[in-house]
Amino acid sequence: MPWTNQGKDPPNGPNGGGGPWGGGDHGPWGGGSGGNGGRRPPGMTPPDFDRIMARLSEWFGKLFPPGRGRYFVGIAVVVLAWLASGIYRVQPDEQGVVLRFGAYNRTTLPGLHYHLPQPIEAVLTPKVTRVNRTDVGIANDSNGASVDVQQESLMLTGDENIVDVNLSVFWVIDNAKAYLFNIRNPELTVKSATESALREVIGRTPIAAALAQGRTQIETDTRSLLQSILDRYGAGVKVTEVQLLRADPPQPVIEAFRDVQRARTDSERLQNEAQAYSNDILPRARGDAQKIIQEANGYKQQVLAQAQGEGQRFLEVYNAWKSAKDITSERLYLDTMSKILAHAHKIVLDHSAASNGVLPYLPLQPNGAPSIRGQAPPRITPPAASTRQTGDAQ
Amino acid sequence: MSRRLIAALVAAFIVIVVAFNALYIVTQTELALVLQFGDPIKVVREPGLKVKIPFIQNVVIFDRRLLDYQTPDEEVIASDQKRLVIDSYARYRILDPLHFYQTIGSEQAMQARLDATINASTRRVIGNVPLNALLSDQRAKIMAQIRDEVASETKSFGIEVVDVRIRHADLPAANSEAIYARMQSERQREAKQFRAQGYEAAQGIRAAADRDRTVILADAERQAAITRGEGDAQSIKAYADAFGQDPQFFAFYRSLQSYATAFDANTTFLLGADNPFLKYATPPIAGSQH
Repeated sequence: MPWTNQGKDPPNGPNGGGGPWGGGDHGPWGGGSGGNGGRRPPGMTPPDFDRIMARLSEWFGKLFPPGRGRYFVGIAVVVLAWLASGIYRVQPDEQGVVLRFGAYNRTTLPGLHYHLPQPIEAVLTPKVTRVNRTDVGIANDSNGASVDVQQESLMLTGDENIVDVNLSVFWVIDNAKAYLFNIRNPELTVKSATESALREVIGRTPIAAALAQGRTQIETDTRSLLQSILDRYGAGVKVTEVQLLRADPPQPVIEAFRDVQRARTDSERLQNEAQAYSNDILPRARGDAQKIIQEANGYKQQVLAQAQGEGQRFLEVYNAWKSAKDITSERLYLDTMSKILAHAHKIVLDHSAASNGVLPYLPLQPNGAPSIRGQAPPRITPPAASTRQTGDAQ
Repeated sequence: MSRRLIAALVAAFIVIVVAFNALYIVTQTELALVLQFGDPIKVVREPGLKVKIPFIQNVVIFDRRLLDYQTPDEEVIASDQKRLVIDSYARYRILDPLHFYQTIGSEQAMQARLDATINASTRRVIGNVPLNALLSDQRAKIMAQIRDEVASETKSFGIEVVDVRIRHADLPAANSEAIYARMQSERQREAKQFRAQGYEAAQGIRAAADRDRTVILADAERQAAITRGEGDAQSIKAYADAFGQDPQFFAFYRSLQSYATAFDANTTFLLGADNPFLKYATPPIAGSQH
């Protein structure tokens, strides 16, 4: 019996225990009911199918003469099963498109629906909310890893260079009826149109723009061009997004492109270093300049103060001198001479000694020529004259 | 009983065979052409369950969807003698099944025909434009021209060519090598230029900095010299103002000051006995007459 083992709660329930309508002894719904019973929580008492079947047979037996009733039951079951095959379910991401004898009849929304059974009606359930993806330049290999397809990804740019581009297009079915009935091979069409559109767009873009700042433009241009192509085909497809995954120079020349990047960086580095040098020396120079100027200012103040002080000192002395000119002159003279002569070597020569043949002996002093003074400086000899004499002697 | 049953079965069988022969389904994606003894008599465009005269008429089904065709790679020469490897795709649909059936018959034959037409048209159109026209905004125009040519040439087959688009338009492998070499040299040129420009700018910055430093210092020196000169001038004036009161006394006074600083312990004086400084000191030394 199909339901005897249901206490063990088999995952799918017993299948075909006696067959849906094959086992006349157990009645037509034995298999189906057993299948349902399998999903019931364990511990529930199964309904007594034998009794139900007996009652049904009784009921059929009253409606039809016994013997023939069996055939009617069989036919009824077949008809019911046929009718029931029209029940279909539209998943939340799908739309149901019902065809009657191959002709479009109606579109149904997600949920449980019914169509007349085959061959009168049939249903197609395209996934309308699913975002489909079409790649150009990459493909998935048997392990699911993406591999570069050079044949697709290498293309000519507007300035006759070659660029390696990978692109992904994301699209949804916008109009299920158009998608299903207007074009053969819609996915292939999306792919071919994408390749064509991308190459047209890249074909008018210079390589520099394709590699750098023009990427967004390429995406938007490709998207609008692709959408207009697909609209012209009535493909019922809406392109939601175009992503430029990669736009690189081809492998053989990528090193040269990288070197350009390095050159840019080198250039910036050189300029930064020069700027650093400039930033280093200019403040120092300004500091040095201030030092020079302040020193000069200091000198100016210094000599002026000195001059004023000396002048004032002279005036003070002068004013004092005026009151007793001769005496003060003599005193000043003698004070000075005594101060000088107190420490200096001195030799006094008498006239008579000179006339008696005493020769002045002038020893050379270790630090240079001796200072020769024939006599004390006259009172009004300017000091410059005597200094010059000394200088000449040296 | 059993003979009746057999008769009924035979009748049912005949009915079923006739029904299957009389009824046919045209789906949403199809067009049907009804032939009577091989002679086309009508086109069925409406999908659904249809009836025909059994055994006398039969039906040929055509796909009414947009059909795809992809050409193989073809080497084409542009007007500037540059070679290109081009492959295109076409999208067309059968508009008139009757014409299509009469002139070409099957989709396979149509594809062979399309291939030849597209190939010829592509060669003709591309052969009249230089390569760089294909790599510009004119590409769309060129493709439209190919499409229009192919469309008008295949119109008689009862089809409508909706689009012919160039998919790939690449240079042959040998030319690609040349392009790579050119790209490489261009990049090298660019890299050299960037480095040299960086050097140029850096040298400029350094030189400007050096110049600024020199100018700043020279300006400072100038200002300092002027300031020192002013100081000297002012001090000269101050000296002159003071000493001008009595030049003679100044000479005397200043001389005495100079002697005091100029003569030090290493100076040797040779004094004559008649030196005025010694005028009172002579008698004890030499018995002079003074």
